Amino acid sequence: MQPDKFYYDNKIVRDFAIATIVWGIIGMTVGLLIATQLFSPSMNMGNQYTTFGRIRPLHTNAVIFAFVGNAIFMGVYYSLQRLLKARMFSDLLGKIHFWGWQLIIVAAVITLPLGFTTSHEYAELEWPIDIAITIIWVVFGINMFGTIIKRREKHLYVAIWFYIATFVTVAVLHIVNSFELPVSLFKSYYIFAGVQDALVQWWYGHNAVAFFLTTPYLGMMYYFLPKMANRPVYSYRLSILHFWALIFIYIWAGPHHLLYTSLPGWAQSLGVAFSIMLIAPSWGGMINGLLTLRGAWDKVRDDVTLKFMVVALTAYGMATFEGPMLALKGVNAIAHYTDWIVAHVHVGALGWNGFLTFGVLYWLIPRIYKTTLYSKKLASFHFWIGTLGILFYAIPLYWAGFTQGLMWKEFTPEGLLKYPNFLETVLRILPMYVMRSIGGGMYLLGVIVMAFNLVKTMKAGKLISNEAAEALPLVKEQSTSKEFWHRKIERKPMLLLVLSLIVILIGGIVEMLPTFFVSSNIPTIASVKPYSPLELQGRDIYIREGCVNCHSQSIRPFRSETERYGDYSKAGEFVYDHPFLWGSKRTGPDLQREGGKYSNAWHYNHLLDPRTMSPGSIMPAYDWLIDQKLDITTTATKIRAMQTFAVPYADGYANIANQDLDKQAKGIAANLAIDKIKVSSDREIIAIIAYLQRMGTDIKNKPLNK
Amino acid sequence: MFKQFIQSLHGDEVYMLLSLMIFFLFFIAATVALIRMKKSHIEYMSDIPLKSTSSEELN
Repeated sequence: MQPDKFYYDNKIVRDFAIATIVWGIIGMTVGLLIATQLFSPSMNMGNQYTTFGRIRPLHTNAVIFAFVGNAIFMGVYYSLQRLLKARMFSDLLGKIHFWGWQLIIVAAVITLPLGFTTSHEYAELEWPIDIAITIIWVVFGINMFGTIIKRREKHLYVAIWFYIATFVTVAVLHIVNSFELPVSLFKSYYIFAGVQDALVQWWYGHNAVAFFLTTPYLGMMYYFLPKMANRPVYSYRLSILHFWALIFIYIWAGPHHLLYTSLPGWAQSLGVAFSIMLIAPSWGGMINGLLTLRGAWDKVRDDVTLKFMVVALTAYGMATFEGPMLALKGVNAIAHYTDWIVAHVHVGALGWNGFLTFGVLYWLIPRIYKTTLYSKKLASFHFWIGTLGILFYAIPLYWAGFTQGLMWKEFTPEGLLKYPNFLETVLRILPMYVMRSIGGGMYLLGVIVMAFNLVKTMKAGKLISNEAAEALPLVKEQSTSKEFWHRKIERKPMLLLVLSLIVILIGGIVEMLPTFFVSSNIPTIASVKPYSPLELQGRDIYIREGCVNCHSQSIRPFRSETERYGDYSKAGEFVYDHPFLWGSKRTGPDLQREGGKYSNAWHYNHLLDPRTMSPGSIMPAYDWLIDQKLDITTTATKIRAMQTFAVPYADGYANIANQDLDKQAKGIAANLAIDKIKVSSDREIIAIIAYLQRMGTDIKNKPLNK
Repeated sequence: MFKQFIQSLHGDEVYMLLSLMIFFLFFIAATVALIRMKKSHIEYMSDIPLKSTSSEELN
């Protein structure tokens, strides 16, 4: 039989590689900027578009979906073609995929600083962009499955299973976490509220880590590491076991992000149990990777790409050991809401994702340009400054996390909080924030050096856009009846897809359906009433400004928290919260019981310049809230949207809501006037004060007829 | 710690048992599958990335 002659498409790989580098530098630069904002509020640059609350999501989205996203596509488009001995299914779909993804990123870069956000972490983009993501993801899927169908290799190597699981799970996660009701072109409400919304979001958030930052990278590891070391993977059996175990267990672990919240206890317990089990398949992957290099450690000494891979795998091992530990309730009680979590994710992001990406880039660019790397010395410099950067980033933040977590919980012998002023615990860790940004700066410098090195490499060589290859075509075999069943799966990509889908759906269904349909899981509270129109508008400003990035709204049932913030949070308090705003980090104090704690005048002055009320505060000033007029044209639509979610506003209330809004706003303005603050009642600051004063107060009002 | 899970279940033991069952069945099936897998097949599979089809590949 004659072998087929065909060409691998390297151009699309090169395009994704360049996008990876460019967005990597941009995303990390934004990260460095927000790191400096945490010790120097002037770095918020005095305008609303560059405040921490708005650009922190820009950093996370840029590094996750732009840097890592493009790196995934680079790795998949390169390895898939070679593992299947076929060119990508369609050059056109590849181009649509590439440019579509870049446009989505540009849309994020524009809309996030403008304050268009859904507030769900790592899913902040508003509904039109969500739709675009869905379409482009499907394009990627068609291109991948098209290639699989026209392959010349009968069996699907384990890397491809990871790619298939990634495709199918990300699709499910993205769609379920995007159930939104649009109220305008760039504003929507999630259809779930409170506890349910929190469960959906953290099922998504956790599995974005699993299926965007982990499974595609494991797939890449299983292809590129054997190629770089020129030896097969240590144990193919282990890779199969760890594939199925990983995708099955990961999906259950989301509730560990919600320990000690008002999520039902059984769901929290399931999350903890599966998080602990997760250590086995995660370490299976790490061990398989590291042992692939057995007997080849001499190569690691000379080869910078392998050095990057070794640190990547080590960081993966550390982060996946630490994750289950953080899911233990006792550890979580101290670590949650602190910088410990930030350190944890950055070990994963900088070490695992970053270093694996760099390793692949250094290996792949010279190959598709048919040349050698411009400078090994510079690559080695990148390796060392990057490794040191990770250490300088993570260690101070671990320190900051322990320090602050313990300070929050410390009591005096008399039984009072030792640090009743939250700000005191922030000021203590500012030196650690400075050191962290130095570590981040070193890491970024390494990436810039890499960019220079790779550009020089590209200039020295010439891109082989179409790399010639040949392989025998697939012949249809008579299937032997004695063949082992897993072997059949390896030949049937659609069956693999369906099986992965079933495996990942089990965990989500067991955890979510009871929370949604068994009413005893969310006990309602009679005194909790819907927000007034002004408070609803104020809440949307709170969302727009990204307050949730630094302030939680969930008080855990510990004495240290109820002393500091008030009564612990109950599920029934959040039933009208579309979306939930529990947050995941306390750079500032929890705000769930903020209502009534301070006067309106205090809030006004604090938002105008936080440092007049709390000297040393690192919160940005929000002076534009005083200049900007509240847009009340949207009130009726927003009330109607809430009514479709069965929020009990009276029939026809939407049409008269602005009268109530006006009345409440005038009341607040009059109250401010007593403190000699002159402000018109139609300003945004009035609405956000109304919301802040409402927060967590309903539970204090006893129902009337009792 | 396990006691703590059980106590916090509030009569929903069925979830705990169901998930444990699924978990065990799943792993027993996977382990059996792996033990029964042929060595030649495993070698074939792990060699896939190393087989070069490209006429221009540098190595």
